This record gives sequence, C-alpha cells and structure tokens, in this order.
Amino acid sequence: MLKILIVDDSLIIRKKITTIVEKLGHEVVGEAKTGQEAIEIYESAKPDLVTMDITMPDMNGITAVKHIVEMDKNAKIIMVTSHGQEDMVIDSIKAGAVGYLLKPITDEKLAEIIGEVFLEYACHENDLELSDDDL
Amino acid sequence: MILDSLILQLKLFFTEDMGIEIDDIAREEESVGLNLKSHTAMIGVGGELNMMVVISFDATMLNKLIEVFMEGEDVAPEEEEEIKESVTGEVINTIIGLALPTFPKRGRGVTITPPISINDASKIQKHKDSKILAANIRTQYGELSISAIIAKDVL
Repeated sequence: MLKILIVDDSLIIRKKITTIVEKLGHEVVGEAKTGQEAIEIYESAKPDLVTMDITMPDMNGITAVKHIVEMDKNAKIIMVTSHGQEDMVIDSIKAGAVGYLLKPITDEKLAEIIGEVFLEYACHENDLELSDDDL
Repeated sequence: MILDSLILQLKLFFTEDMGIEIDDIAREEESVGLNLKSHTAMIGVGGELNMMVVISFDATMLNKLIEVFMEGEDVAPEEEEEIKESVTGEVINTIIGLALPTFPKRGRGVTITPPISINDASKIQKHKDSKILAANIRTQYGELSISAIIAKDVL
C-alpha cells in the first residue's frame, strides 16, 4: 500500500483522485490546495507518491516540485495535467517529476502511472495470469 | 470549425468519460447575445487563436455531472458551492484541452487562462465586432450550451 499526497486547487479533482486511490488500495495521507501547502505536508507526511496539479494559486506545481525534490531527491511526483500544458509538463520533468497523468482522470490511467513509477504495482493482471498458468 | 471541434470533444467527453448520451445539438450561429443557464464557466484562449469559450449548465445537468465526478458519494452542504465551481471549471478545462490539438497548428502557441465562474448573470451581449457561435445541447439529464466568442472576421 502506497502513502499518497494529493495536491490540486480543485476540490472535485482532489475528491476524484482520493476515490480512485482508495479503490486501488492505497492510502491518502494528505491533501493540499497550493504548492506551499504541499511542501509543508510532504515534510510531515513523507508520502511515497505525490499527485501534483500544475496551475495553482500561491505557488504553482513546478515550483513545488523543485522544493520537494530539494528536500528529498527520491521524491516520486506525478503531474496532473491537461492537453495544452505540454511545455509545463516538460518543465516539471526537468524539475524532478517522474511522470504525468493527462486529464480526464480515470482509474485505469492512475493505476497505469502508479505501475510505471512503482514496478511492484505494475503487473497485477499478469500476476493473475501467471498464477493461472502455474495451476 | 472551432465550434465543431468543441462540440465534438464535448460529445466524446460526455459519452465516453461521463457516461452521458447527447440527445440533441442545436446550433445557433451569429446570435445576438448568449442566454446563460444557472451555472456558467468561461475560459479565455489567446496566442495564435483569440476567443472566449463559455459553457453554461442548467441545474439538473450540473447535478448529474457532480454525481458522476463524485462517483455517487454525497456532497457536504458546506462544500456544495465549491464543488459546483470546480466541476464547471474542470469540464470546460477538459473540453478545451481535448480540443486544442484539433485547432490550427495543432494548438501550438495557443494559451488558455484558468477558468472563471459567472454567477447571477442571465445574458452575455454581443459586441458589434464580435461573433458568438453557440450550440445548445440536450441530454436526458438536462441541458448545457457551449459557445465561442470570436472576432467578427474569424471563420
């Protein structure tokens, strides 16, 4: 089970990601509405993974990624983004994000990106098939 | 052309992601003004393409979208207004984001503003140098309209 911090200024997106994260069997250890809040919660909650919105008031997601990666060079941050934000996604990756999730957010997309970042969560279906073969 | 892209992406987003079928689309180009429904969100598009995109939802339509986004979970009364605002914002953001690659030059050089909500307004009046391309969309859950406000000489 992964500990996940959700950072987004949109309440409905925080709720949507929370629902999916819990459905996937992971734990939401914090929610932040701004980049500054994200940094503060990251320090105390020490999540395994952060989902980070790009455009937020106060401090945007790219700056927050820089700060978090400065604190923890092993931080795993995925950007939640819309089409048309490609340049900002590139800047986020340069700042230390490990991937991105393109809206609209679905269970499958979130599971896939988590599987890409944490290989041990990548192959549930294959594992099941292997188990069947083994039998 | 621009409105066609927006309508197509709206239709795909509603049917494929929201599970809401579109029953009817009534286009109304060169409108005098735009009548707004109960909840409205607007985004400015700039750079290579200049326009404003407005999506206006009636109450039952918005409630259905909230229900889908919330996956059946109840909305706390104190969060109701914020949820409405964030759902209208997400819907317009997503539709424009999906439509961007279909715009001229695949949307390169096009910028979009964060969404804003328009409350307590019933109409947007057209300026003499502007044109409003609009479509009213009906579903079994209610209606919404999508509009592009552009300069008069843009096709």
